[in-house]
Amino acid sequence: MISRHQRIVFWSLVGCILAMGALLFGERQHARDRIVALADATPLDAPYSTTESVTLDLANDADGSITATTRPIALPGEVTARARALLEHLIAEYSLPGSTHPLQSGAAVDDVFLLPLPLVGHSANTSALIASTDPNALQPQTPGGELAVINLRSTFVNAHPSGVEVESLTLLSIIGTLHTNLPQIEQIRFLVDGQPRETLAGHADLLRTYPSRDTTVQAQPTTEP
Amino acid sequence: MNLAQKSVICLLALATLPCLAQTAASPAQASPAPNHPKPPAPLPPSPFNRTTILLDPAHGGADSGSRISDTLLEKDITLSLAFKLRSLLAARGFTVVMTRDSDAATQADTPTPLTLDDRAGIANRAHPAACLLLHATAAGRGVHLYRSELDPIPYEVNETPWLTAQAAWVTQSQNLQKQLGMALTRAHVPLVFSRASVRPVDSFACPALVVELAPKGSDNSTLTDDGYQQQVARAIAAALVFWQNQAQPPQRLPAVQTPASAPETGAQP
Repeated sequence: MISRHQRIVFWSLVGCILAMGALLFGERQHARDRIVALADATPLDAPYSTTESVTLDLANDADGSITATTRPIALPGEVTARARALLEHLIAEYSLPGSTHPLQSGAAVDDVFLLPLPLVGHSANTSALIASTDPNALQPQTPGGELAVINLRSTFVNAHPSGVEVESLTLLSIIGTLHTNLPQIEQIRFLVDGQPRETLAGHADLLRTYPSRDTTVQAQPTTEP
Repeated sequence: MNLAQKSVICLLALATLPCLAQTAASPAQASPAPNHPKPPAPLPPSPFNRTTILLDPAHGGADSGSRISDTLLEKDITLSLAFKLRSLLAARGFTVVMTRDSDAATQADTPTPLTLDDRAGIANRAHPAACLLLHATAAGRGVHLYRSELDPIPYEVNETPWLTAQAAWVTQSQNLQKQLGMALTRAHVPLVFSRASVRPVDSFACPALVVELAPKGSDNSTLTDDGYQQQVARAIAAALVFWQNQAQPPQRLPAVQTPASAPETGAQP
């Protein structure tokens, strides 16, 4: 026969156990909410789509040619991020062992900005957008044409091999790759760390505006018979 | 019909002639022809010295160009090749103008270094039959020949913009490129020819090419090999002998033109 005193102790202990379990469950929920609230939800990487077939215009120093080559690459959907990723993949190809146009590995492109043509600005007194009255201002060839401003990293430019051919091939490779994959780009300008620079590595002009075009037929190698 | 009647008819016929003439002219007056401006009369061509060749050994002084190896600099190779070319061209009766004939490229009688625009200025004042910008590189093989990336225009417009002065000469530069290409191929020198935007070639008002000397094989030291440089220089000099009779300066037009008759500008804005 269990005494009344023992029954009270028993049920008190059961009550304590249940209360303790409820307390622990509540605390666990609070802790999880706190961790979720503290977690950094900032998007760190551009949302990538599935792998797709992308054409890269690859240069060859031996014969000065540029060949369109297809690679399976996952690219982001947003256009400027896509352009930057394209160029990073292109430069990464050149840093692989056995590259026909060897360049130093590492990040080459800081940013790519796409500006609709013709370029417009704000007038001094109003907030209205006005087009430039300069007859030499950049004009689109087709409606929706864009100017791509490629901001290269100085670490890439300073380490770039010097020479007319090797520098021209790098620029033509970039121009051709953008032309093939982003046809809305009509003109291309280059900056280095946000500043204009005269040449890539002493030869190829970085101050001019390059028309976006197919560069695969640019080189016409003629070797000895 | 008597004589008086014939006279009256003749007088009436004579009187109607001006009216007929006026009637014939009236349709043109009613709907005037589109206002096509008369194309401007071409100017006399620029002076053109068929026996003058400009050599521009690139870089110099503090600007050493590309570093081929620890002891080999681009500026030294370009100067060495220029000396060889100068000798061969002078032997063939050419007058050779060089933008530099020592390590540093400086302005006359001053230590001020030449800018790229100064080099183009020297070329444009000489009115040569060919301008060769000499470069050297460790990348690739043989000789790389480049002409300007500007789109060609058929006329040289007076007061041409400095940055597109080459546009009127691009066709001539292309012909010179073919001529040199054939000569180098005959000399068994590996060859690449293409277009490139290398300053200051777009400001040259003459048939202009960038001639980049690369190693003969995989060994960079062939760049300083006298035999190799001589082989290249001989081929170029031989081609220029033929070129001096083929070069044709473009027609010049006055600067003041209507937009309709103005030739298109080059690719460079």
